[in-house]
Amino acid sequence: MPERRTSLRDRLALWAIVAFTVVLSFFPVVWLALTSLKPAADIYAWPVVLWPDPFTLANYARIFAESRELLRYILNSFIVATATTGLILAAGGVAAYSLTRLDYRGRAALMVGILAVSMFPPIALLPSLFDGFLRLGMLNTYPAIVLGHTGLYLPTAVWILASFYRTIPMELEEAARIDGASTLRIFWSIILPLSTPGLIATGLIVFIMSWNEFPLALVLGSSDAMRTAPVGISLFPGEFSFPWEIISAATILAVLPVVVLSAVFQQRIIGGLTAGASKS
Amino acid sequence: MRRTHRVGVLLLVPALAVIVAILVLPVLQTVLLSVARNTTSVLQAFDFAGLANYQRLFATPRFLTAIQNTLVFTAVTVPLELVFGIVLALLLNRHLPGRWLVRLAILLPWALPTALTALMWRWMFNGEFGLFNALLQGSGLIEQRINWIGGIPIAMASMMTVSVWKTSSFVALLLLAGLQAIPRDVYEAAEVDGANAWSRFWTITLPLLRPAILVALLLRTMDALRAFELPFNLTDGGPLTSTETLSLYAYRLIFQYVNFNLGAAAMVVQFAIIMVIALLYIVTLRRDPYA
Repeated sequence: MPERRTSLRDRLALWAIVAFTVVLSFFPVVWLALTSLKPAADIYAWPVVLWPDPFTLANYARIFAESRELLRYILNSFIVATATTGLILAAGGVAAYSLTRLDYRGRAALMVGILAVSMFPPIALLPSLFDGFLRLGMLNTYPAIVLGHTGLYLPTAVWILASFYRTIPMELEEAARIDGASTLRIFWSIILPLSTPGLIATGLIVFIMSWNEFPLALVLGSSDAMRTAPVGISLFPGEFSFPWEIISAATILAVLPVVVLSAVFQQRIIGGLTAGASKS
Repeated sequence: MRRTHRVGVLLLVPALAVIVAILVLPVLQTVLLSVARNTTSVLQAFDFAGLANYQRLFATPRFLTAIQNTLVFTAVTVPLELVFGIVLALLLNRHLPGRWLVRLAILLPWALPTALTALMWRWMFNGEFGLFNALLQGSGLIEQRINWIGGIPIAMASMMTVSVWKTSSFVALLLLAGLQAIPRDVYEAAEVDGANAWSRFWTITLPLLRPAILVALLLRTMDALRAFELPFNLTDGGPLTSTETLSLYAYRLIFQYVNFNLGAAAMVVQFAIIMVIALLYIVTLRRDPYA
């Protein structure tokens, strides 16, 4: 859009839209956060108590005192998402380099093939992955969930990384090759440093997607000790009804990492998402 | 050159190995399971059943309901997400007051886990202590508290609302790249010709954005057709089976009723629906004069 001096009316309208968007986007998290800060009795009150009075951290304290398994779920998510991100950047980084910079037959077809398999519904993987990991004795282990997530998000990561590699000028590489540098040497000392922003953006996106993933984590890590945060919290058993005072506090703790990452690295994440999408 | 070739292929091995093991072989086995009888692994036992599983499925009203639910859910949510997505993308593409906050607002629904998003909304939809009833009753718009996820068809409408909230911003992010690729001088020329903002949108932005829109529609449609954690965590597929999607029904066939073969057949049907719709989009995209 061309930037021009806008009238006061236009600017007010824009402000209104901005405010509306921000409120619309934040209110579910904010409402849950407010709920988590209320005394338990006020959570189940009608008319609804809108503002915590007094503010209390009692619900959070209860998690640490009585429901430590919820902390375990969050730790599991950390382990799974971190390992998945590492594996994907390692395997995806070299694969995307090979697919965009090295010359051999079938490259383009492979890129399309990788895009096609990324469209498989995750649900369709579940029977085989469940049965396979069960037979391997790996059900309810970190490696099973991590491998599952790595397979699920590797295609997307390769596409995002490829879009970053394509922006690095080919001449740099050709000059190094004439100087006698090997392919791996070129990758390590030229491509890798130049593609750091791409690797960071891809890593952030993969971390968030793995943190949030539900069906695979549900099936491959169903034992109480192996549940990730989304699985463990949503399956949290209530004695009589869903214990919202505990659930609200646990959910806030579980979404805190992705909210902070989104706030701090918003431009990198948006850049990575749009780069990957525009190339497909 | 030959050395490059060999190294290039070597670098692909780890990624391709994981993709084949986790994505390709499992999907192939799902297809084989769908034409087998009484087995959870075709390597272990394969008793060919022909199309018996499919015949049984299509004779099951609950399966047909799941197909209908999935299609209705997709047909309502995807167009709404597109409209909101375009508005948000146009907004994001301007120099705005509080740009940092707007960007976070647009990123947040995407970045939150769907399963926990469903929990947040379940709490706001709560029929006894929920925020929505409190606000609506407080402002005198309703007299009786509404059970947002406990009735037919309101539970489906509630589920659609959450989906539109959650994914409109992702559509906006997809469209943003397309918007930024439109050269500014096109707009300036139109402005010289006296076109107002509204007609500039219809005659320039929308046509030039069409390839990006088609890609966004394709990705969102495929995603909506495989909706799982939203019904799983918001409505549990209920009341009755009024919000049970194909993914949820297939999951239950396998892990609740322990019928891998029937479940696999349901997954193959779902996959076929996704493929047909994806192909329609891709053909349209290929024919698009702006693509």
